[in-house]
Amino acid sequence: MIETRDLTRKFNGLTAVDNLNLKVRDGEVFGFIGPNGAGKTTTIRMICTLIAPTSGSVLVNGLDVNDPNDAIKIRSMIGFLPEVPGLYETLSAHRNLDFYASLYGVPADKRERRIKELLELLGIWDRRDDTVGKFSKGMKQKIAIARALVHEPEFLFLDEPTSGLDPVASLTVRNFLLELKKEGRTIFINTHNLDDAERLCDTIGVMKTRLLATGSPEELSREFWGRTTVVHLRAVTPAMIEAVRTVSGVTGVKQVDNKLLIDVVDPVMANPGIVQAVVRSGGEIEFVNELKRTLEDVYIKLLGGQQ
Amino acid sequence: MWAVARKDLSEFRTNKYVMYSILLMPLLLAVVLPVIYLTPFTMSAQSSTPLDVGNAINVTADQTITNQTVNDTVYVHCELVNVVADNCRFEGSNISNCLVRDSFVGNSTLNGSAMFHSNYLNMTTINAMYTGSVDVSGTSQDETFLLQFLNFLMIFFIMIPVIIPTVMASYSFVGEKLNKSLEPLLATPTTDAELLLGKSASIFIPCILATWLSFIPFVVIVDFLISGALGYAPLPDAVWIIGVFLLAPLFCIMSIALNVVVSSRVSDVRASQQIGSLIVLPVVAFFIIVLAGFFSLGPEIMLLLCGAVFLIDVGIVYLSLKTFQRENILVRWK
Repeated sequence: MIETRDLTRKFNGLTAVDNLNLKVRDGEVFGFIGPNGAGKTTTIRMICTLIAPTSGSVLVNGLDVNDPNDAIKIRSMIGFLPEVPGLYETLSAHRNLDFYASLYGVPADKRERRIKELLELLGIWDRRDDTVGKFSKGMKQKIAIARALVHEPEFLFLDEPTSGLDPVASLTVRNFLLELKKEGRTIFINTHNLDDAERLCDTIGVMKTRLLATGSPEELSREFWGRTTVVHLRAVTPAMIEAVRTVSGVTGVKQVDNKLLIDVVDPVMANPGIVQAVVRSGGEIEFVNELKRTLEDVYIKLLGGQQ
Repeated sequence: MWAVARKDLSEFRTNKYVMYSILLMPLLLAVVLPVIYLTPFTMSAQSSTPLDVGNAINVTADQTITNQTVNDTVYVHCELVNVVADNCRFEGSNISNCLVRDSFVGNSTLNGSAMFHSNYLNMTTINAMYTGSVDVSGTSQDETFLLQFLNFLMIFFIMIPVIIPTVMASYSFVGEKLNKSLEPLLATPTTDAELLLGKSASIFIPCILATWLSFIPFVVIVDFLISGALGYAPLPDAVWIIGVFLLAPLFCIMSIALNVVVSSRVSDVRASQQIGSLIVLPVVAFFIIVLAGFFSLGPEIMLLLCGAVFLIDVGIVYLSLKTFQRENILVRWK
């Protein structure tokens, strides 16, 4: 488990991360979203013991990042993919992975097996002896992910894993991360790609120096948008709108074309009354559904004004 | 540490600029330039090996000899005027308007005379000419300068382990910074000191090997070119052994540590090389002082110099360890 307690980091008096308190459970995929300069990378760097907190602490499986001895143990438990892959371009894919495996103390026989397993999984085993400089950006990202996994870490930290990749490469990386999720690995992702975050993450943290909100994508949607029932009609009349307003549990009604967007406290309780009110006022219902709010809607609502 | 060193060495092998530096610089400094600089000495320097001029038998002291042809005589405190001398020996004498051949002239004055194929020691000349003759003192001005110049050439064996690290370190540290490969490296359990030592070892080992291996052809070239002029093979001697096997590694360590500090402040490989190369300036200044003859390099001076460089090394290595810390690299390195 990863737990941050009042985690704060300042650079020359400017606060990059302010009193961050969060918990990432074992096996959870946690996504950090927020604008550039929100402190996401700084947070990952503090958890990975690359930079020290100004105040507060981080516990990784009970080990404290502020303790130098614990810091080494923490680094051996984590795999880290920085924003830029940072591979050795003049060395082969195999040599890159072999080097990192040796730094993590993976025994030679196990190292070879693990490298083969990862490169085969990512579809680049046949090109293992090619220098990395010859690879496409997507392939480099795959090798960088393999590098982060070569020692089978308990925790995986990914900073913008699909940033700058073409749609196919991005899909390959995302599918690979979904496989890792199935393995039950604890994954911490920083991303601007809200679609990725929504598909991959169990829990999302919205960050802008402070943690503005945290929860699953559905929880965030409900928390910041409530729930909305959409009634599709052949035609909408003012009488229908007035009838729906009087239904218990309805907090607001809005017309968009031939649809009524009805904010409700609880759709299960309110929807039967809404349908009856519409029908009684002469409405012909085509179908009824719930308006799905995306993570983007939550993000815009939380940060749109600030940006 | 060795994993880092091996990885860096693998990278250096594929970097043509680093390979050119490691191969060409020793070739230039330890072979080509010494040949160019020392060849003139082989043509102009005179041998101090005494000529075989035979033994004088008769002895004449405190006399004035004029208008004669003399041979096989030792002249002590004599005045010789208009004399042709063969196979003679002169001690404390004045030789005026004479012709001297196959003789020895010691502590005497050669005035308006000519001397051929003779040995001399502490001879004063006034309007005299002498050719094919040998100064048997063994410490002629030519020889003294030649030895000073030879010691000056040690500068090359300091420059090799000082300049090559500026090239290698610029790729090793600034290169990794530009390639953004330091961050994942720093996320591994390796300590800062292990990373720094590993990277430094990958620079130190090839630099010192290049320095030591290039010393072999240098010794052969020097001994071949100037042993004729000196009458003996000057290398290797204690000064050079201390210089190449102790002082050069100490300067190499200084150069590497200084380049680590420089690397933290620049974000361009060439800028790093140029600033790092400035370390050569005090080295050049020191050896110019040696060449100018302000003091000659003996084993004691060399050991003192090693001690001084060692102390500077301790300071700069400490500074480089302070510079090469995760936090500094990620937050303060430009």
